Amino acid sequence: MSKSSSIPAAPGVSKKQARSLSDLLGRPAAGIVLLLLFYILLLAAFSLLSPYFLTLSNLSNIGTNMAFIGLMAAAGTPLIIGGGLDLSVAAVAGLAGVIVALMHSNGINIWVGCFTALIIGCAVGVLNGFIVTRLKLNPLIATLGTMSIFSGLSMVMTGGLSKPLFIPAFNWLGSGRLFAIPFPIILMLLVFVVLWLILSKTPFGRFVYATGGNPEASSLLGVPVERTQMVLYIVSGLSGASAGIILAAMLGAAAPNAAGQHLLTIIAAIILGGTSLFGGRGSVWGTLIAVLILGTLNNGLTLMNVSSFWQDVTRGVVLLMAVGLDQLRVRLQS
Amino acid sequence: MTDERTEGSRNPRLQIANVTKAFAGVTVLKNVSLSAHAGEIVALLGANGAGKSTLMKILSGVYTLDGGQIRIDDKITTITTPQDAIAAGIRLMPQELSVHPDLSVAENIALGSMPKRRFAGIPMIDRPAMDWQAEVLLKRLRLDHVAPGRRMGSLPLSEQRIVEIARALSGKAQILIMDEPTASLGEADADNLFAVIEALKAEGVTIIYISHYLDEVFRLSDRIVVLRDGEVRGQFKTGETSRDEVLTAMLGSDLGDLYPAKSAARSDAKIVLSVEGLSLAGWLDGVSLSVRRGEVFGVFGLIGSGTEKIGRAIYGAEPAARAKAVRLNDIDIGLSGPRKSVRAGIGFVAAERKRQGLIGNLSVRTNTTLPYLSLFTQSGVVDQKREDARTRDWIKTLRVKTSGPDQEIRLLSGGNQQKICLARWLLGSPSFLILEEPTRGVDLGARREIYAEIRRLAEAGLAILIVSSDAEEVAGLADRSLVLEDGKVTAELGQDATATDLMRAAEPRSASRDTNELEKA
Repeated sequence: MSKSSSIPAAPGVSKKQARSLSDLLGRPAAGIVLLLLFYILLLAAFSLLSPYFLTLSNLSNIGTNMAFIGLMAAAGTPLIIGGGLDLSVAAVAGLAGVIVALMHSNGINIWVGCFTALIIGCAVGVLNGFIVTRLKLNPLIATLGTMSIFSGLSMVMTGGLSKPLFIPAFNWLGSGRLFAIPFPIILMLLVFVVLWLILSKTPFGRFVYATGGNPEASSLLGVPVERTQMVLYIVSGLSGASAGIILAAMLGAAAPNAAGQHLLTIIAAIILGGTSLFGGRGSVWGTLIAVLILGTLNNGLTLMNVSSFWQDVTRGVVLLMAVGLDQLRVRLQS
Repeated sequence: MTDERTEGSRNPRLQIANVTKAFAGVTVLKNVSLSAHAGEIVALLGANGAGKSTLMKILSGVYTLDGGQIRIDDKITTITTPQDAIAAGIRLMPQELSVHPDLSVAENIALGSMPKRRFAGIPMIDRPAMDWQAEVLLKRLRLDHVAPGRRMGSLPLSEQRIVEIARALSGKAQILIMDEPTASLGEADADNLFAVIEALKAEGVTIIYISHYLDEVFRLSDRIVVLRDGEVRGQFKTGETSRDEVLTAMLGSDLGDLYPAKSAARSDAKIVLSVEGLSLAGWLDGVSLSVRRGEVFGVFGLIGSGTEKIGRAIYGAEPAARAKAVRLNDIDIGLSGPRKSVRAGIGFVAAERKRQGLIGNLSVRTNTTLPYLSLFTQSGVVDQKREDARTRDWIKTLRVKTSGPDQEIRLLSGGNQQKICLARWLLGSPSFLILEEPTRGVDLGARREIYAEIRRLAEAGLAILIVSSDAEEVAGLADRSLVLEDGKVTAELGQDATATDLMRAAEPRSASRDTNELEKA
């Protein structure tokens, strides 16, 4: 008894001060606030450097360009929090566009095509989920495999060529506006809000964090670990298909390889947003800010005539710095 | 023959003097002193949490001591890393086999200090030297029939154990610490290992032998040192002591008020849970038991006896387990997985708290409400205010030391984490609770509180199954208990069973010897 009661007496004053700092840094919101500060700095810097940057049309450009990436990053966030990973999501986006285009060119109604693409997105999610939860394959390997399969299939079906898709009602999905805001941005924000509500308010959201934090303990406490992961893979597949449809509508064409190049941006945004690759930690708002940061960086550097090769370099540096700083923050906390 | 050396005037090879160690303000070793001579086997005994493994981890450089000193051959030796320990000639053979099954036997032995030669200035592994070194060591350990090039994984477990010893000896170890070396071995294999240990002793190697099996200890050791609650509570010459004397030193006769008073026998109370013919290949063989309302039922057994699996098998967390019948409140629920068990009204606290009990990076609140989250959910939304209030209630009731329900649970001490692991089941209304090693890694103060809570719950009508490898705990807490050895029930004991009774029943290998001793007396 005396042993345990001596614990609180031991630490001195210095520990108390350290605790208030570490408390502040340790709050889950701290990472997001820091990220937001960085974003504001970035906005300020670019508006000083380029007169064209801080215009409404440019800002809505950034948003529209990032919307379909944001869609996939939004769905990827709970998946990674839940201990999964989906590298096939961008390939599914490519496949979805191709399916819509091919069905349309065969005279099938465009909306039936979209619906089919969404169903196929779900099916890919089921396949990924089955391989990971039932066959117990590492998600990195499993979805690397399905990524290759589905990006390959898109190429096979199109012969590697873009298929035009000019249907005003369909193209509205990519370039139309609601209340003066581009539709892709509205859709993306809607998805973020819905996922935030699910993650923070519902039992399912709780299961996601528990599953990613410690699957073994969670399953012993009666959490449906496999079902939770399965649902997350399906949501990811669905987001891939929706992103593909939006992208095809935006471009006015289904390009089989248009989305694949953005896979690393998606993963980078999720990690930059503070989601742990080991699962159990993260938030969709972090991902949203990170998506905006990466999009803004891209746009700002383009306005400043920096070559796209250097943009890749910058993006890498920002990612490493942000994740490194976050690690430092977590270490300070304990 | 070697006893002369231990009693001679030569100074001990290893001297541990007044070693002290504390974790987060909790003292786990208090002024521990012991010594061991060359060619001596010193057995280190103690119940779980007595401080054995902490002491051995200090010797092998995993932990650093807070006070006291270690002398080897009369020289003060500072050990702060495992490399220091190896340089000082100390090798630890951990309880869990730590071999690389896909490397060759010779590679396993030489790992860490591969013999090298240079070819055109590039260092390469000198395979002939490595194989030759392995061959010499294997011969010394009576394993001549094993070729150095064989894949480690193809050897039987017992021979892998001996290869581990060879690895320890390859660094010219003078002091070998063996932690439960026979835990996973059969009788014949254990005998073979003992012969090897005897041979090493004859060569002058100092051996610190940790085991729960008194039989082994009495057969092998020259001296016995008993630790309890972080202090040395007895030093015996093996030839001059008895099992009972050692057991008393180990377990203590003064349980004090650590355990709450047991209630009157309830042989008429309703049976809440009954299991018939529970089997799990390699672990359990046709175990049956039944637990009544208001009863604390204990299952005791040593490492490898099947106690590790019985709780989780009943809970449905061992997919390979089979049972003739599992009845909860007269309904046959079978072995249907944790999720269904939770719904049926069974709660489960796992032994491996960190790995299987906690979601470390989530809050105390989240960890508390997870199994019965549905009770806090209204129209699909978790009511976090109610969660918070109920968690605060339990934090207060069980006196959990935490900054609040939103603190990450990994930052709590073991005892406080365990209180949450218990509290989470009390939010619902389970009728049967399985507790595996309920106080492993928990300090004395929190242990008392957890025991009191367990008894209070039983008195409130819960049926409780305690699975523990701590005989004292089972004796102190259980109304009825059952002892397992080799997956089978060897004894069923009542309320008055002592820790010594349980230990005896758990060690069938010592049964014949016990009767001999009794006859002599």
